[in-house]
Amino acid sequence: MQPDTKNFRNAAAAALANENVQANLAGLTGFHDARLDARRQTPQWDDASERARAIKAHTLDNLDRYLLMMESNVKKTGGHVYFASDAAAAASYVVDLAREKGVELVIKSKSMLSEEMALNSRLEESGVEPVETDLGEFIVQLAGETPFHIIAPAIHKSKEDVSELFRDKLNVPLYEDIGDLTREARAQLRQKFLAAGMGITGANFMVAETGTVALVTNEGNGRMCTSMPKVHVAIAGMERIVPSMEDLGTFLRLLIRSATGQMISSYVTTVTGPRKAADEDGPEEFHLVIVDNGRSRLLADPELREALYCLRCGACLNACPVYKKVGGHAYGWVYPGPIGAVVSPMLTNLSDAKDLPFASTLCGACREACPVNIDLPRMLLYMRKELTQGETYPEHKSRSTVEAAAMKGWRASVSSGLMMRLANAFGRFAQLPIARRGRINRLPPPLSGWTRARSFPALASKPFRTRWRKRRRG
Amino acid sequence: MTERDAFFANLRQALGRGADDTASPRPPDASLTPASHTVHDRARAILDRMEYDAEGLMIKLANTAERSGWNVARFRSVADARGYVMQVARDVEARQAVRSSHPVLTDGTVDSWFTELGVSVEPMTISATSTRARQASRERLRDLAARSDIGVTGVDYAIAETGTCVLLPRAGVSRLVSLLPPVHIAFVQRGEVLPSLDELFALQRRDHLDGELGSYLSLISGPSRSADIEYTLVTGVHGPGQVHMVLIG
Repeated sequence: MQPDTKNFRNAAAAALANENVQANLAGLTGFHDARLDARRQTPQWDDASERARAIKAHTLDNLDRYLLMMESNVKKTGGHVYFASDAAAAASYVVDLAREKGVELVIKSKSMLSEEMALNSRLEESGVEPVETDLGEFIVQLAGETPFHIIAPAIHKSKEDVSELFRDKLNVPLYEDIGDLTREARAQLRQKFLAAGMGITGANFMVAETGTVALVTNEGNGRMCTSMPKVHVAIAGMERIVPSMEDLGTFLRLLIRSATGQMISSYVTTVTGPRKAADEDGPEEFHLVIVDNGRSRLLADPELREALYCLRCGACLNACPVYKKVGGHAYGWVYPGPIGAVVSPMLTNLSDAKDLPFASTLCGACREACPVNIDLPRMLLYMRKELTQGETYPEHKSRSTVEAAAMKGWRASVSSGLMMRLANAFGRFAQLPIARRGRINRLPPPLSGWTRARSFPALASKPFRTRWRKRRRG
Repeated sequence: MTERDAFFANLRQALGRGADDTASPRPPDASLTPASHTVHDRARAILDRMEYDAEGLMIKLANTAERSGWNVARFRSVADARGYVMQVARDVEARQAVRSSHPVLTDGTVDSWFTELGVSVEPMTISATSTRARQASRERLRDLAARSDIGVTGVDYAIAETGTCVLLPRAGVSRLVSLLPPVHIAFVQRGEVLPSLDELFALQRRDHLDGELGSYLSLISGPSRSADIEYTLVTGVHGPGQVHMVLIG
């Protein structure tokens, strides 16, 4: 997916003006409440959270070693492992494999990483048809759009939108009922499941000790993709690894209960290599593609490494007052919301995505919602600091000379009583042409950006100090 | 430098380590993951608990399974479930059923109920031995499962915490039985119920250390479902929309 992170302001404004999108975003409260219920019903949630953090810290400290362990154990089961430094290399591996195997049709279960890889367009360019099989992703693919939410990709669309989309793209009647729409998708996709030569899935977790990947789904498409086609390809971000099978219980609880508020999803599937000789079904080949694509930049920065603890549950999106108004598309890349505001700039280009760390009120709701307590507000502040001061990433320092000059002026004017009085006197004079009823609604260029979406209170005609002195004298 | 070497060189640099540092992982903190020698002791304790707490676990399972969307019915014996299963078959006007070869299903009792209703029932078991014949048989059975109205399975375990059926690969068990037909009936017997996910994964780890870990593990907790359109819950998206957990004993 081509990053479009420069366009946050306009895209956010468009989402705010779209009533349909606003109505559908309001429904996210349901996920939020369900998560809180599930959390209450889980004994020792905080202990699980702490345990998960400790496991994550340990595996990330030893990431190279665990990845080697994973590789060797997948190979022992007869599977293949490919390490891709970037998204393009990962996509090339999958495309080459599909062509080598003569695959014409690929079925896909939801994978955010495949969006990073722009895998669908890469497959199409090579004459291979990719079909998204998660209902939400299927809708998004038909519409030629990108996912709006990590776990509810098409939630910005009303059933009428989906109905018209199905009529136009699938040549079926207009359905009024969501059940009918779902049955139509089932019928269409069932044929694809039976015909596909390759199934592509993500991996919610890799288990190093056994060479296993674990998948969480509700629709059953993950089970289809891992058991029907002759070749199964799992693609995984390199950080999604845990040492042992015994870690899965903790992580599955935290992920699923934070994502949808279910105690468990309809299906959890683990895959350890291709089918064995005695198995009744299953793929003949298993390939695991492990992808860096900028994750090592997060790993290398002690301030940001914690972002790799993320389980991709989407809880921080549902809690965020900004995401809940501007939605997923405004963020301009695969990962929206508070976690996206940290991850997307670092995985794409920090300067281009400079608006994202500022698209937060720092209210802390994201951290509170996070099942592994990622300190997102701290990281957002750190990135803001980097963008203005550029200590670690000088090449991404923002060059707003106006802001720098304004801050310099501010510092000078508040650093002594005399300067403050002079600045106040100047300000009261300078604001005369623009202040109306105690507000400044429009600053002249180059300061106009500050008042594009808000107004400022004007300086009072008499400063507080003057009024106070007068009052005390009586 | 190969791509793989470049990947690891970059990774080690990010970790602040030398590019040639390939030592094996420091073992996880013992408080995080139990050492392998304790795994067999734990497995024995788990199997013990499944037996002495069988009734308590069964009651909890009935409760959680219903919450995760199963239709739950409990009977003293397999024979007693006759009326229930036949009613399910009648309600969906079944004509074809497939089943796995879990021990609870192989003595012909369950098959006879379907036959009595005129429903053709076939075990999804590949009997051929040659590779080519096995492949042909595999494809025929897959098509059969795809046009079946009901799939019947036993389970390897059930999980009381989450209302889950667990299916592991073994001879005579195809995962398509619980996936392709629109209705799934799972027989769970007393003594097969685990307290929580943690015990399941502890047993999986034991299987791994014993060299017996299968190629997959399916956890099934209620019907196939989606809320992708307007948050409205719909069942039967790709897998079964109607699921029955028949508790025996």
